[in-house]
Amino acid sequence: MSSRTTRSIAHYLMLSPFMLLFAVFFLYPIVSGLFYSFFEWNASQTSHFVGLANYTKVFTSRNFEKATWNLLIYVSITVPLGIFVALSLALLVDSFSGFWAKFFRSAFFIPVVMPLFLAATIWRWIYAPNFGLLNTILGWFGMPSVQFLNDTGTMLYAMIAVDVWVSAGFNMVIILAGLKNVPRHYYEAARLDGASTFQQVVHVTLPSIRPVLFFVITYGLISALQVFDVPWLLTGSSFAEYGGRANALLFPVMDMMGRGFGSVRFGQASAYGFMLTILIVCVTAVMFALRKKFGDA
Amino acid sequence: MSTTVTPAATLSSASASIASRRSVSIATILKWLVAICVAIVAVFPIWWMFNVVFSHPGVPISINPRLYPTSLSAGLNNILTIFTETDYLRAYYVSVMYTLLTIIGILLFSSMAAFEFAQFQFPGKNLLFGIVMISLMVPKAVTIIPTYLLTVQLGWLNTMQGLVVPGLASAFGLFMLIQFMKSIPAEMIEAARLDGANHFQIYWHVAIPLSKNALITLAILTFMSTWGNYIWPLIVAPSPTMYTVGQVVGLFNAPYSHTTVDIVMTANLLAAVPPLIFFLIFQRQIVEGIAHSGTKG
Repeated sequence: MSSRTTRSIAHYLMLSPFMLLFAVFFLYPIVSGLFYSFFEWNASQTSHFVGLANYTKVFTSRNFEKATWNLLIYVSITVPLGIFVALSLALLVDSFSGFWAKFFRSAFFIPVVMPLFLAATIWRWIYAPNFGLLNTILGWFGMPSVQFLNDTGTMLYAMIAVDVWVSAGFNMVIILAGLKNVPRHYYEAARLDGASTFQQVVHVTLPSIRPVLFFVITYGLISALQVFDVPWLLTGSSFAEYGGRANALLFPVMDMMGRGFGSVRFGQASAYGFMLTILIVCVTAVMFALRKKFGDA
Repeated sequence: MSTTVTPAATLSSASASIASRRSVSIATILKWLVAICVAIVAVFPIWWMFNVVFSHPGVPISINPRLYPTSLSAGLNNILTIFTETDYLRAYYVSVMYTLLTIIGILLFSSMAAFEFAQFQFPGKNLLFGIVMISLMVPKAVTIIPTYLLTVQLGWLNTMQGLVVPGLASAFGLFMLIQFMKSIPAEMIEAARLDGANHFQIYWHVAIPLSKNALITLAILTFMSTWGNYIWPLIVAPSPTMYTVGQVVGLFNAPYSHTTVDIVMTANLLAAVPPLIFFLIFQRQIVEGIAHSGTKG
């Protein structure tokens, strides 16, 4: 009996470093964040309870509206486009074999290895007006220079291009792993029924990799809803200046960070975080419900 | 009758097979063309960054669009300049330490906890496991500001522990290692116990060596995410003496930073070197690690 008790103590001792860190740096911040979100709170004055004022202030602010609107457009383009590209690349790689399959997989994957801050800074210079690479190429065809990152008509799309460049390889690798699990005789049966390559993709491949597609879509949505690094580094890159011309690249996490560290309104920033979390948890819950309904392969 | 029909039939079927072979070869050519174009789009921005660093200074981009490197000495000169005239070397040191300590901490603490969750029954196990797993659903956006405020209260602003410690309770790493350690046979652990090994010795001498592959994969994924972490150092280490590589890249990148493109790209290139080297060495583990998290998660 006593050896059993000492063994139990050993279990908790082994767990304690992780659980302690988890409690202090994950659970406690969630609780304290909720607390902060009900207080008017900044460095110079003592805090006082303001009820839901932080939430209503954020909710009715013009930046919040702009950031949410940008996010809506961004997510509804970048997630489907990114996954379409990733799926196409996975099918493309899958159609090669041996050395070339590995070669193209590696080549398509390389952007994933780049930290996001690098992807953004490299592309910032590719997009640069006049002497940037893209405008140099446009110049060869006699086209005028485009201010990709300063023209409100192109900024969001320029950012989505960077986004797809980075994320396509990541999703491709996951989809490829899913493709490997599709039994080959499914394709043979489809071929005997006279299905074209396109029909095989639609009727055999896609249904078979549904669980993987759900993961990729859910993960893509969750990261896209919290986008920060790329738009931050494609615009002013500092708390004094971010979001770009007319806030065309302002997104919720940027707006939240700006309220906290730019204008030292941590109460509003905390409230912002919770509103964003509610949105993300809802989206995740919808995805899980959809998966439960349609996801079984 | 049949003898007269046969040659014609053979002929038509032969021409059909030639036609189909030709159409296949056109499809194949198209496939290769697309694959090569995508590979260029994926790799070229990185190649271009390299070329900007290693090209003759002062040659306008319209004359030399930096499609290939032209000067080794100019590149070396750029690297020397950035190391001697900016604090980049110091930032490099901070980033290396930040990454190294994070990897060690995450591997140690999450493997200890994973060992317990995967192999043993003890009171409260399901509750603790449930809480940690729910945290996988909570977005970073909600914890980042209160975690920052906690780090300030601890007096850890601009310190190495402020950078490292709050990121150590990685639910992702724990989950991954639990999945792996479940496959360790209970007999091996029992055998070690009969040989007189204590609980920690079993963890250290049996579980850790058997989980080598999973630990390596987790170390590499942690390396990539920590080296690429931009948002946390940005707020928790705002003093120039604690800048990470990502922050220096971000500062150079900001408009009006008065830094020339070759210096910016040198900073980018040096920041890209460690992940690229890791990718070349550990490509299989990186790709499999990501694929696994998608298909098993």
